[in-house]
Amino acid sequence: MAAALEAIGLNKRFNGLQAANDVSLAVEQGEIRGLIGPNGAGKTTLVNLVTGVYEADSGEVKLAGQSLTGCAMHEIARRGLVRSFQVTRLFGSLTVAENLRTAFLARRPEDGSDGEAQIERMLDLTKLRPLADTQAKKLSGGQRALLQMGCGFMVPGSCYVLDEPFSGINPVIKDAIIDMILDVNKRHGATFLIVSHEMTIVRRLCPKVTVMMEGKVAAHGTLDEVARLPEVIAGYLGKALE
Amino acid sequence: MIALSSPTFRRSAIAILVAAVLLLFVPLVGSNYVVHVVTISFYYVILAASWNLLAGYTGQFSLAHHAFAAVGAYTSGLLGYHWGVSAWIGIPAGAVLAGAMGYGLGRLVLRMRTIYLAIATWAFAETVHVYLTADYAFTRGELGLSVKSLYGTLNPTPYYFTFLGLTVVVLLGLRALIDSPIGYFMRAIKDDELRAKSLGIDTTRVKVIVFSISSAIAGLAGGVYGHYIVTLTPQMLDFSEMAKIVVMVVIGGFGSFIGPIVGAAPVNIVLTYLASYGEWNLAFFAAIVIVLMRFSMEGIAGLIAPLWNRLWARNA
Repeated sequence: MAAALEAIGLNKRFNGLQAANDVSLAVEQGEIRGLIGPNGAGKTTLVNLVTGVYEADSGEVKLAGQSLTGCAMHEIARRGLVRSFQVTRLFGSLTVAENLRTAFLARRPEDGSDGEAQIERMLDLTKLRPLADTQAKKLSGGQRALLQMGCGFMVPGSCYVLDEPFSGINPVIKDAIIDMILDVNKRHGATFLIVSHEMTIVRRLCPKVTVMMEGKVAAHGTLDEVARLPEVIAGYLGKALE
Repeated sequence: MIALSSPTFRRSAIAILVAAVLLLFVPLVGSNYVVHVVTISFYYVILAASWNLLAGYTGQFSLAHHAFAAVGAYTSGLLGYHWGVSAWIGIPAGAVLAGAMGYGLGRLVLRMRTIYLAIATWAFAETVHVYLTADYAFTRGELGLSVKSLYGTLNPTPYYFTFLGLTVVVLLGLRALIDSPIGYFMRAIKDDELRAKSLGIDTTRVKVIVFSISSAIAGLAGGVYGHYIVTLTPQMLDFSEMAKIVVMVVIGGFGSFIGPIVGAAPVNIVLTYLASYGEWNLAFFAAIVIVLMRFSMEGIAGLIAPLWNRLWARNA
C-alpha cells in the first residue's frame, strides 16, 4: 500500500541557499509523524513544498500514491491535504463562525450538507461559541490557533501538515488541540505530519519522528532513538532528553 | 441554498423593497429636474455597488470601472448609430462585451494587488479613453455620439422607473451573491489569499468571476444611461468619474453592502448642485472623506450599523 504522504528527493534553492536538499520521507496511512529540527533547518520549506506554496526545483510529492506535481495549492487542499500555518492565518474581518463556514464551503463534501451542524459541533469542540460572532482579528493568540485548527477539521482531510501548532499558546489550549488531532486520527484514520519544538508533546503524539538539519533529513526513528544521536544533540537539542 | 434563506439577505431585501416602494412616489412630488438628478443617482448606485463588489469585498482595487460603463454605453450607442441596432439588443450586447473585457482584464491583473492593480487597470481605462477620443471617424470623439433615447422622450420619469427597477434587481443580485459561497470566498481572498488557497478555494476563478460580473453590471448601467442622456462623449472616461465612484463608496462605507447605496445618492446630489464650481467639488468631497474617516473608518455605514442592528434585534 502506498504511503499516505511521500516526498521523494525534493530540492529547493533560494538565492544560493539550499533550503531543501534531496529531502525524502514517507508517512504511512494513519501515522502521526513528528518533524523536528533547529530553526532554519528547512522544516517550513518542506511544508510549503508539500502543500504547493513553493514549486520544487526537482523531486516529487505523492499523496496516497498520486503525484501532486503541477497541482495548484487549492487542488492539493481539495485532494484532502490540509495544512496549518506557523504564524496563524485567519480571515480577520470574518467572524469566528464565518471562518468555519468558509473553511467548510471551500471543501464542501458531496453530500449536499450546508455545514451548519459541523459549525455548531466545532464551536463546542473549540469552546469558541461565546465568540462565534466576534471578528477573528479580535481573538487572542491561543484562540486564533484553536480557530485555525478548527477550520482545518471542518471537513475531514486525509492528511494534515501542521506547522508548529503548539507554539506560543497556553497548556489548556494545547491539550484541546492535541485532543482534536487524536480524535480526527482515530475516527477518520487521518495521517499527520507535525512540525514542533515541544518535545513532550512530540513524545506523546508521535511514535516516529524525522529530524531535519541544514536542509537535509538527518535521521528517522523514535524520538528516543534520534535524541541519542550525537549530531542531533549537538545541532538541535543541546543536551540529551530526560 | 445558503443565500436566499440567510437573515442578511432577507433583511437587505426587505429594506431595499421598502425603499423602492417609497421612491416610487418621487416623480409624483418632485420636479422634472429632481427626478433627473435622482435617476442619475440610481446610475451611480449601480456603479458604486458593483465596484464595491470588486474592490470592497474582493480587494481588487480596480480603477477601470468607469471604463466598463463607457464600454456598455458606447457599444449600444455605436451599434445604433452605425447599424441602426435597437437599444434592446444594444444594451445587453454592451453588458456582455463589458463582462468579456472585465474577464480579460481580470485575468491580466490576477497576480497584482493594491497599487499595482490600481495602476494597471487605470492604464486600461486610459487606453479606452484614448481610443474613443482618437478614432473620431467611428466614435465621433469629442464631438459626441448621439444616441437614440430609449423611450423616444426626454421626460425623465420613464427612465426614473427603469433605473429604479434596475437598481433593485442589481442590489438584490449582489446581496444574493455576497451571501452565497462565492461571497464568502471573495471576503476570504481580500483578507488573506494564501490562506484561501490553502483551504481549497480556487482564488483565480473567484477573482475572474467577480471581475466579469462587476464589469458586466457597469456595462449594463452604462448602456441604459447612454440611451437616457443621448449624447456620449469620452468625458465618461475622465478620471474624475472613477474618483467619484471611489468617493461614493468610501463615504458610504467601503466593503459594506449598504455603503455604496447610502454614499452614491448624496454625493451625486451634492456634486450636481456644486457643478458650477467645476472640479473644485471633488476637492470638497476629499475634505469630507478626510473628516469622515477621522470619525468612522467604515463611512456612513459604520455610523448607522448600530441602528440597523438594533432595528432587527428588536424584531427578531
